[in-house]
Formats: sequence, structure tokens, C-alpha cells
Amino acid sequence: MKSRLMAAAAVSAAALAAVAGCSSSSSTTGSNSGSGSSSGSVTLHLFGADYGAGTTNVSTTTFWNQVATAFHKKYPNITVDVSTVNWNAYPDKVKALIQNQQYPDILEGSAAPPYAAENLIYPTSQIISQSTLSNLVPKFLNDTQYNGTAYGVPWTTSTRALCYNKAMFSKAGLSSPPTTWAQLQSDAAAIKSKTGNVGFGLPLGSEEAQAESLLWFLGNGGGYLSSSGSYDINSAQNIATMNFLKSFAASGDTEPGAGSANRTDLWNSFAEGKIGMVNCSPAIVPIVKLKGAVSTSDLGVTAIAGKNGPLTQTLGVHDDIVAFKSGGHAAQIKLFLDFAYQDQWQLAFNNDYDLLPATQSGDQAFGQQNPVFSQYMTNIANSVNYPAKANWTTVENQIKQTMGQVVTGSPSSILGAIQQTASTASS
Amino acid sequence: MSNIVTAGPATAGRTQDQPPGRRQRKYPRVRAILAPLPWIGPAIVLIGLVVIWPIVVMFQTSFQNITADGINIGSAGWRNFSGVLNNANLPGILLRTVIWVAVVVGATMLISLGLAQLFNQRFPGRTVVRWALIAPWAASVMMTALIFRWMLDPNNGAINILLHQLGIVHGFNTNQSAWLANPDSAMAWMIVVAVFVSVPFTTYVLLAGLQTIPGELYEAARVDGASLWETYRRITLPLLRPAFFIGLVINLMNVFNSFPIIWEMTQGGPGYETSTSTIFMYNLKAINVGQSAAMSIVNFAIVLVIVFAFLRMNRRTLQEAR
Repeated sequence: MKSRLMAAAAVSAAALAAVAGCSSSSSTTGSNSGSGSSSGSVTLHLFGADYGAGTTNVSTTTFWNQVATAFHKKYPNITVDVSTVNWNAYPDKVKALIQNQQYPDILEGSAAPPYAAENLIYPTSQIISQSTLSNLVPKFLNDTQYNGTAYGVPWTTSTRALCYNKAMFSKAGLSSPPTTWAQLQSDAAAIKSKTGNVGFGLPLGSEEAQAESLLWFLGNGGGYLSSSGSYDINSAQNIATMNFLKSFAASGDTEPGAGSANRTDLWNSFAEGKIGMVNCSPAIVPIVKLKGAVSTSDLGVTAIAGKNGPLTQTLGVHDDIVAFKSGGHAAQIKLFLDFAYQDQWQLAFNNDYDLLPATQSGDQAFGQQNPVFSQYMTNIANSVNYPAKANWTTVENQIKQTMGQVVTGSPSSILGAIQQTASTASS
Repeated sequence: MSNIVTAGPATAGRTQDQPPGRRQRKYPRVRAILAPLPWIGPAIVLIGLVVIWPIVVMFQTSFQNITADGINIGSAGWRNFSGVLNNANLPGILLRTVIWVAVVVGATMLISLGLAQLFNQRFPGRTVVRWALIAPWAASVMMTALIFRWMLDPNNGAINILLHQLGIVHGFNTNQSAWLANPDSAMAWMIVVAVFVSVPFTTYVLLAGLQTIPGELYEAARVDGASLWETYRRITLPLLRPAFFIGLVINLMNVFNSFPIIWEMTQGGPGYETSTSTIFMYNLKAINVGQSAAMSIVNFAIVLVIVFAFLRMNRRTLQEAR
């Protein structure tokens, strides 16, 4: 018996030795950015989100490689190495990179405050020149601020509006889109009874519950932040808003299972002509074109309905670029970003993905090329964005996972739990 | 020169008596223990890398404060554990986990007992039917769950179309046809899928057990005039016990850890109303990595407790099987 014990001890010791050898080597892995600094040649690592194939069939990796190749021609001793990952896997992949301290030089698609809070990224002024900086749309640039300093560079933006099916509206005997919640409800009921289709598509599932919730909060004078800038998620207006949504979903005029429905599925259903109204962004246009069931002339775009009138402020979303300090390549990053923010690249990217440029000159040129996006572009100036707080990711994930329950549960306790996380999680 | 040596019973651990003239080797017992190391070494390294290292890191992570962005901002002490154990959703999730495991494993074992008995009989086409049962087991569980989710689509899922034709479902895109949107009906369907993928393996385990029962026992029972039910209860079930418990333990572990079915069909939603503790642990990862690690340890402990309790209770039964 004793020899068995010793055998077991020997085996465990061998196993632990193997484990210790492996774990110690991994914990000293520093950032792998900026290798090859001999004789002035620098490699920058760019990690971004993959937005898909796009309407012109140019994938995001291809796009960035095009920029990198053109950039390399101009600055032969700077190479940009590109990798992207699709949006579903993006949060986990970025989290893994950060947790392993494998910081890329340039990261596209993440918000700045969490990294700024830990002093991991450069301020905006160090990574783009003054002329590029003054060309950015100020509204979005201000959102990258942490403690008064801007840390990120907005790369692409979009705003939200209300999309409705004009043909379905006339079939239901409705002449104009709704502007108040009461009208929205009655219009949805009319669509359901007269055409048998879903009146309003309400996506409170885990894909983007934070966006849909904010659009409704804004309609009742609420939002995620109070006027003083601190979290106020369970304010009286927000709870009233969610109570309204609960009764709206219960009335049967939305799609069944609104608490777990996702935006992508509802946009697909809308494009197939099965839903009358849905909150949308410009990215719905290629889906509608692809499905072919709703013609472009039947696609109506208008301001989102608020409680007592259309929203004057809508949700504006921006995907930012941040640059990590660990590689120490601020100068080269500045050259690359100044190059990438030229109109030519902003227009190419945003035309491909039906998003909106982040630069003023880009917006002007884009508006001239795409008059169908005029409603969205008007919304930019008055858009409200997600809170620029360091713990927003935590709060956002809890909203995504739990907001859907307001449809069947208690809005005040769900919003209360989210507010609890927001005020206690480190920020 | 004879090199034949004999090891007496009292020399356990000590090497054989050396022939005269050979130098005595030092630490004979240690050498005997370490002797097989070169052969089992690679397996030990593999287990160390794939099993032990993740467990060690999991314990380390559960005491860290890691933000949702992956930034480690220091030690969290026991706060992750208290955060998880005080989570208001946890009691419901644990209760649901107990129901999930009990119903799935119970249904699987019952159905498999019947199926194994059926497959033990001779009938035309038995081979084909036996092979056909392998299909749900061989197919990837994630794929099966995905296909069931699409079959239950409220608008045009195959199951809804069938039920509509049978008159059970009255309209598409209604609350009734959105099976996965309602937590109760969603749980019911997920239990069906879980039983569907667990039955083949369990049936084969029980079938193997049935085939070890000697036929003479049944003949003797018939001669003695025992009824069918008495035969089953007095002969088949007791002799099937080892195979039954093996199937039971394996199913308990697998169903408790089951992830793809619930994740693909409802992602544990809405909220956490269809989450089991495994799904909850995964969802926590998006909110607080440290708490997710703490929940993993809680799950790990539960599985260990279940398995060890079971093995202990059935020690004698399993020894008979050896």
C-alpha cells in the first residue's frame, strides 16, 4: 500500500512539473506587437472586426489589406499586419488577447474607456494629426473621452430609424407611419388584423437588447445616464417604458417571444415581408435588396416613435479604433491612421457596409453619393451614444442577457439589478 | 551461471536478491516505482497539460478580479464566490438543473431499459434497427440541437407545420407556435432532445449487460412457473444492476455538464429562465470572468460530490461487475 502511495506521489510530481514548466512560460508572454525593429522597419499589428462580405463583396480583411498595401507603397519601411474576426466571436477573442496581454498595435471595433482606465492606450492626440482630428465628427469623438481626454478615434458610425413596409401599411389602411407610442400600438394591431403579419418586430434578445432598450428609453425622456452623467437605469421613466413594452408584447401585436428575439432574425423577417415595422439602421438596406420581397420604393424610413412624438435624438453607434502603448509605435500608428482616414477609404468602407463615415468630409461626400441614407445622416448631429464608462461592457452584457425578461417578469427588479451592477462594478 | 532469482513474499519493494559479485543498487524501492515512468510519461504529461493545468488556472482565476474586457485588476479575495452564491438567479437555476438532470436521466434510463429488452429479442430487421439507433449518438449534439431549433421555428419550422396539419397548432407566428420563447415549453423540448441523444449509448450499455445474463436462469424461471413481471424483477433487474449503474453515472455526469443543447436552442434565455448551472457559468463569463471561474468550481464540486456519492453507495454492486 505504501509503495502505491509513493507511486502516486511520483506521478503527481511529474505531472505538476510539466504543468509548472508550461504555465511559467506562458505568464511571461508579453505583447507580440512591433516585432522587427531592425534598421527602422516596423510591423504594426491591426486587429479588427469582420463586418461580413459587404454589398460589394469586399471582406473586411481584404479592405484593410488594400489600405495596408497602399500604405506600404508610400512608407516602405512600415508593414501593417491585418487580422479580423467576425462580430459573434469578436468580444471573446479581444478579451482573450487582453487577458493574455497580447495587445495589438491597432484595435478596431472596441470602445476606449475600459482600456484608458487601465492606462493601456494612447490618447487620440498622439495617434492622429491635428488635421485628421479636426475632420472627425465631434459628437462621436467626445464619446471616446475618459477623464476629459479623448482616447479613441471613431472609425465608422450608424444611427437608427424606424423602417416600415409601405405596401403593408396601405393594405392595412394606414396612410402614414406612427409618431407616438399609442399610434404605434394601434398601427401594429391594424397590420396584424388586416394582413395577418406581425405588426412590430421587437428584438429584446441577447444580440442587441442594449440598443433596442435605449431607443425606447429615449422615447420617454429616459436613457442609461442621468443628466449628471451617472448611471440611472432604473429611473421611473425607464421602468414605465419597460412596463409599456411588457404590455405591448403581451397584446400579441409584436412577434411572439419578443424577450428572446434577435435583431438579425427580425430584419430578415422584415425583408421577407413578414413584419410591418422594425427599428433599423442603414445596414438593413442590403438585406432587403437581397431578399427581394420588399421593393426599395416600399421601404419607408422615418424617425423613431417616442411616447408623445417622434424622437429628436436617436441612438448613434460608433466603432472606434484604439492604439495600445505596449508596442511603442505611436509615430508609425499616426502615419497609418492619417492615411486610412482619407475620404477614399472612408467612402469605400462605408459604401461596402452601408454604415456612415466618421469624418465630416466623408459624411458630406457619402451623403451626396447615397441620398437614400439622408434620414440616418440627419440623425447624426442629435444622436445619443452608449455611456462612455469603463465598466460599460459589464453593464451592456448584463442588459443583453437579462433585459428580455421584462416581457414576462418584473421590469423594476430587472432594471434594478442592472443598475446595481452598473453602480458597483469597477469603473 | 544461473541468474534465476526468486523474489520471496517478504521482499515487496525490494529488488531480487542480487547474485554475489553484483554491486547493490541504491534506493531499490524508488527505482521500482519510477521504472514505468518512460512508458506512462507521455500520458502523464498530456493529463497534466489538458486536465490539471486548466483546473489550476481555474482556481487561480476565481480569486482574481477580471473585468468584462479581460483586464485583470487584482485579487478579489472571496468576493467572486460570495457574488455567485448571492446571485438572485442562482436558486432558480439550481432547481432547474436538478429537474433537468432528474427528468432527462430518468427518462433515458427507463426508455433504454425498454429498448434494450426489445433489441435483445430476435426479430426480422433487428440488425438494421440496432444500427439505426446509432445515428442520434453519432451525430454531433450541436448539430442535432440546431436542427431541432429550426424545426421549432414559429414561422415555418417542420415540427410546427406537422402539428398544424394535425390540428394541434392553430396558427404560425403565434405564442403557441413559438415553443422556444416560452421557458416551460422550451425546457420540455430541450429535455426531449437530450433524451434523444442519450438513449442510444445507454441502450447499448444495457444491451451488453442483458447479454451477460445466462439463458439458463430464464429457463429455470419458466420451469418454476414465474410470471413475466416476476422474472424481470427477480432475475433481469438484479443482474443488470452493474450495467445500469454504469449507464446512470455516465449519464448523470454528461447531462449535468450538457451545454450544446440548451445553448443552441435558447442560450439559457430569456434572462436565465432556461439556464442550468453550466449555461449560467458560461453566461457569467461575459459579465465577470472571476465569478464565472468561481461558478465553474461550484459546478466541479457538485459533479465530484454526485459521482463519489454514487460510487460509494454502489461500491458493492460495482465490485460484483469486476
